[in-house]
Amino acid sequence: MNYFPDEVVEHVFDFVTSHKDRNSISLVCKSWFKIERYSRQNVFIGNCYSINPERLLRRFPCFKSLTLKGKPHFADFNLVPHGWGGFVQPWIEALARSRVGLEELRLKRMVVTDESLELLSRSFVNFKSLVLVSCEGFSTDGLASIASNCRHLRDLDLQENEIDDHRGQWLSCFPEAYTSLVTLNFACLEGETNLVALERLVARSPNLRSLKLNRAVPLDALARLMACAPQIVDLGVGSYEDEQDSESCLKLQAAIRKCTSLRSLSGFLEAAPHCLSAFHPVCHNLTYLNLSYAAEINGSHLIRLIEHCKKLQRLWILDSIGDKGLEVVASTCKELQELRVFPTDLQGGGNTAVTEDGLVAISAGCPKLHSILYFCQQMTNAALITVAKNCPNFIRFRLCILEPHKPDHVTSQPLDEGFGAIVQACKNLKRLSVSGLLTDQVFLYIGMFATQLEMLSIAFAGDTDKGMLYVLNGCKKMRKLEIRDSPFGDTALLADVNKYVTMRSLWMSSCEVTLGGCKRLAQKAPWLNVEIINENDNNRMEENGYEGRQKVDKMYLYRTVVGTRVDAPPFVWIL
Amino acid sequence: MEICNSYSSSSVDSTNPSPSEYSVNLSLSLTFPSTSPQRARKQDWPPIKPRLRDTLKGRRRLLQRDYDTCLFVKVYMEGVPIGRKLDLSTFSGYESLLENLSHMFNTSIICGNHRDRKHHVLTYQDTDGDWMMVGDIPWEMFLETVRRLKITKPERC
Repeated sequence: MNYFPDEVVEHVFDFVTSHKDRNSISLVCKSWFKIERYSRQNVFIGNCYSINPERLLRRFPCFKSLTLKGKPHFADFNLVPHGWGGFVQPWIEALARSRVGLEELRLKRMVVTDESLELLSRSFVNFKSLVLVSCEGFSTDGLASIASNCRHLRDLDLQENEIDDHRGQWLSCFPEAYTSLVTLNFACLEGETNLVALERLVARSPNLRSLKLNRAVPLDALARLMACAPQIVDLGVGSYEDEQDSESCLKLQAAIRKCTSLRSLSGFLEAAPHCLSAFHPVCHNLTYLNLSYAAEINGSHLIRLIEHCKKLQRLWILDSIGDKGLEVVASTCKELQELRVFPTDLQGGGNTAVTEDGLVAISAGCPKLHSILYFCQQMTNAALITVAKNCPNFIRFRLCILEPHKPDHVTSQPLDEGFGAIVQACKNLKRLSVSGLLTDQVFLYIGMFATQLEMLSIAFAGDTDKGMLYVLNGCKKMRKLEIRDSPFGDTALLADVNKYVTMRSLWMSSCEVTLGGCKRLAQKAPWLNVEIINENDNNRMEENGYEGRQKVDKMYLYRTVVGTRVDAPPFVWIL
Repeated sequence: MEICNSYSSSSVDSTNPSPSEYSVNLSLSLTFPSTSPQRARKQDWPPIKPRLRDTLKGRRRLLQRDYDTCLFVKVYMEGVPIGRKLDLSTFSGYESLLENLSHMFNTSIICGNHRDRKHHVLTYQDTDGDWMMVGDIPWEMFLETVRRLKITKPERC
């Protein structure tokens, strides 16, 4: 390859798109490093504090797409206090000052302001795609800037963000001449929507493929929208209060029948039980069905819908479907690859909607299943062993037994053997979440068998530091480890400091780690930011007597090449 | 039926070495262990996103209902001897109920809050036998306690 001109090498590199592969390419030799740098189009930064914008621009001057992730994963569950960090503003400012022709920005768990969105919309002429996932800090005014100024916008995809809805006219800010919309997802907006502006926008968007509405879009508007956009592939229904036999309902049914390209259905944020039947005609083509917000619809209606969905590949559903419903899924959805079953009863009141039986049925019926997230009230080792035998192809296995420390409900034993069977059988397992009563033994199994594991979530598990040590020593590919309410302490934390070079981050909260231990780690590992998050005391920890032995409530450490961050709030102490 | 309880009544050896973290709770608590009130308020378990948590909180409590369970109640209009029967489970909330009733009885009917001389008011008899104004309690709670409905003349309330 050294005898080829750079342009040829670069052309070859164009076919290599995965970040990991491109990172590998850049390590081969100086010449490849240089060619790869200038030709990298998509940059992925898994932790926005691992690097800064200036160094990013120095390494990759010509990228078009940037993905940035901010807060740690447990922030999704209220474990990271408000104001912790993950601000996108400095990034957008730096990119705006540079000559980067940014076209796509994907942010996850970051703080985005209206100011940021305004700056973004004005700085990049060819900006095409904005995807915000689990972000916060902005309002519909920011969306109005994007709509007004981004002439070539294709995608505006807002997934599960906290957006201050000023009930303004952001939808009417898209210019009349603007017709390039492909994706519009505003399902997470809570306020009223200008339906007229929305309908006009959809009507002048012939390329629209994905439309996800919020709860303020009622049935009759949905009917009109679908009639304007029969080419739709991905639909998120907003509100669907049932008015059987009404004119709107009939119009909707007619419109739905014309949507022959529809492959993906979600939403039903406010839906009466009988509404799903209108969608039966298109079910046979659906590959993705997300009913995880359809809390009003009971099991039997869900089942009747799913019976028609023979081509389903991804299903996200609430546990109101029940074990019986999962048996229907198992016998109907032979193409199923990913299943997520979310809980409806958060109080643990004994509503055993789905049990180990449902999980076993799915594993037996769906040969292509590789990803599962399953919330349930009870589990047994026997069931997990059966699941492992049925499905050795799991890449992601996340089981959440709602009651912490709950043992096998038949034998009263810990669930070590069950999870052990999973990691032993599933040789490609990359992501695992464990729950229920677990001793150090399960971690011995994980360390021994889960050789490909990259992300592990532990809650209320283990006995001693040995548990965590098994994992740190055994899982060579571990990147993200997050632990809460487990008895792991300084010994495990400090055993192998170099482990944190190959890992992106470690989160430990309500464990046995002490301030002294964290300080020792920070000293030994200057390439790490060791953050102590202490929202209640505001650093009074320093003044207390038993400082070294004081337990740390929340610790988040991550590798970085740019040292301590400067935007940390007072309750975050970076050692 | 498994009821989530604290360590004191757990049959399994508690392996957690820091008991101070968890309060010994001898009451039959339906929240999760580490039953300190702080943790219950923190809303950090189970690990679901805030949006789903909010959706589930607002969810109507139709947990034990089968599809075939309906909720037919008698509806009388004051001054009219013959009543009607209505399946309350087909309605999504007070608004759709009122709309339907107004249509059925060909008059305008409202809930208690905005009374005036022109509109009839909807009342219901609950499981205790008392007659109450419709609309004060959450819809799902109403479904659990309603026994019959009456559309009354405005002066009565």
